[in-house]
Amino acid sequence: MAGKRVLVVDDEIHIVHVVAIKLRNNGYEVLSADNGAEAFELACNERPDIIVTDYQMPVMTGLELLEKLRQRQETKDIPVIMLTARSFAISKEQQEDLRISGCLSKPFSPKELLGNIEDVLYQKQVMVSN
Amino acid sequence: MFRRSLYAIVTGIVACSLFVGGLAEWQDSGTEEGRRYAGYEQRIPVVSVCCIVAAVGVICLGWYQMRLAGTVTSIAKLVQDNKASDIDADRGFFAPLRMATIDELYKAVDEHFAGCTARTAEYEKQIKDLQLQIQLSQRRGKNTEAIIYSIRDAVIVIDESDRLLMANDAAGRLFNFDFKNSQHKPVSELIGPEQSEFVDFLSHSRQSKGRATRKDIEFLEEGTPKTFDCIVSCVYYQGQQVCGAVAVLHDITREKQIQLMKNDFVSHVSHELKTPLASITAYTEMLADGEADDEETRKEFYSVIQSQAQRLNRLIEDILNTSRIESGLIKVNKEPASLTMLVEEQLQMIRSYAEEKNVEVIGQKPIVFDQVYVDKDMIREVIVNLLSNAVKYTPSGGSVKIEIEVDEVATLARVSITDTGVGIPEDEIEHVFDKFYRVVANEKQAKGTGLGLNLVKQIVEKVHDGKVFVTSQVGIGSTFGFELPLATRQAA
Repeated sequence: MAGKRVLVVDDEIHIVHVVAIKLRNNGYEVLSADNGAEAFELACNERPDIIVTDYQMPVMTGLELLEKLRQRQETKDIPVIMLTARSFAISKEQQEDLRISGCLSKPFSPKELLGNIEDVLYQKQVMVSN
Repeated sequence: MFRRSLYAIVTGIVACSLFVGGLAEWQDSGTEEGRRYAGYEQRIPVVSVCCIVAAVGVICLGWYQMRLAGTVTSIAKLVQDNKASDIDADRGFFAPLRMATIDELYKAVDEHFAGCTARTAEYEKQIKDLQLQIQLSQRRGKNTEAIIYSIRDAVIVIDESDRLLMANDAAGRLFNFDFKNSQHKPVSELIGPEQSEFVDFLSHSRQSKGRATRKDIEFLEEGTPKTFDCIVSCVYYQGQQVCGAVAVLHDITREKQIQLMKNDFVSHVSHELKTPLASITAYTEMLADGEADDEETRKEFYSVIQSQAQRLNRLIEDILNTSRIESGLIKVNKEPASLTMLVEEQLQMIRSYAEEKNVEVIGQKPIVFDQVYVDKDMIREVIVNLLSNAVKYTPSGGSVKIEIEVDEVATLARVSITDTGVGIPEDEIEHVFDKFYRVVANEKQAKGTGLGLNLVKQIVEKVHDGKVFVTSQVGIGSTFGFELPLATRQAA
């Protein structure tokens, strides 16, 4: 999956930093934003292959970002993995409605996150090739 | 009639006897007129007539006395048996044979009256008992009334037809009725349709004969939505027969709000705790997996782990300090300190955060005398909380200014921190120091637990007898600050 672009969104600069290092070390190109609004603009302009976003952020939450992404033609199919400190915050229905590819509870393992990203991108690749 | 006839006969016989006897005596007296009007030979028939008349009289008298004695005996017996109404029924032919004396009658009447006296005494005792019970019942009623009227919760008592029997002032205020003019009226007429859920619940609970039925009901009180914990207990009469119900409505709006705030707090705190923990976990794993290639990266990772651990510790300390101050268990070490010095220390700490956010921090010129008698660690906590809040809610390019004033007349020092941030809506200003409270409009601006400002208030007002203050305008900025007594006042 080397060369794929990942947009990492979190208002915690240290989380963005550590995820970025992990992904770059594994051949990914990393874009970053510290709130939903900034991430939406980046997603529209840069069309990342996958987005990893925090759930609770100032200005625009992860869920609001996802709702906006799903409404735009150019961003509606971008897979999204959600990071959250509140595991109960997102219902199964919301996950299905907004097509959330995966949810990881904080504290999370960067290794586990990388594994999830690879799985999601692989599934996406299979779907496209079919 | 019989009695009168008997008197006439007896009187006639006696009169005839006396007349004949007198006539015989007159003839027998030997006077000239006696000898002239009655011959000696006429004396024998006169005596005979007199004897016959006397005998008939004696028989009549005897018969009458027997009748009288019989009647008296009957009366005595009936008096003894308390059957005065049966006197006539006991007058048979042989009744005269049941002889009795006036003494017996007297005795029977006496016994009867003795019985009557005893019964009267018993009745009087029963009347006194009943009067006592009535008094007791009235007293209990008054006690019940006093209890109902002294309860701050709304209390309503209804009968078996859902008509109002009793209600206290709180119920009158809640349902907007005057009890004196509402007694015995159906509650469905007294309570408005917007509170009909309570009326239905009350009626249903009474019909279901429940001992204590409970339900949380929400309705408007003077236009404000409120939640009430309603308990309805049926009043039982003679076993299972329900003759009414008592309803108590306890306002739990505040408890509900606190519960929601607590849930929100737990949610916020868990998020706040997990965020530094997430960094610590992720960086530790990266180090363990050898993902930090060079020494510089490794040092950076160690530094992040350390700062996040400190952040976690501060948060836990905030929670614990709030709890300790509230419970009065915190240890306070007061000593003279310069406010300017304390502010300077905290300014140094906050500058890097402000630079990161591109917010200018304008400090304070030194003041000659600004000594306060405080717990330094606690006041540092206050200053850093106010400063970090100001930077947190100020957009990039804005500024935060800190000022210290000394009011020598009032012998107090005042610290004001003014930002050019988002500001606070007017209706929320009064709540910003409440525990767990977060300004709704600014929630998206930054994360927080809603504990910081409450801790500031507790430290300043509860521990140091000072005062916190806030002014704000949406879109322009806010000024938060506090006043503390100068050390001179403390020494005096």
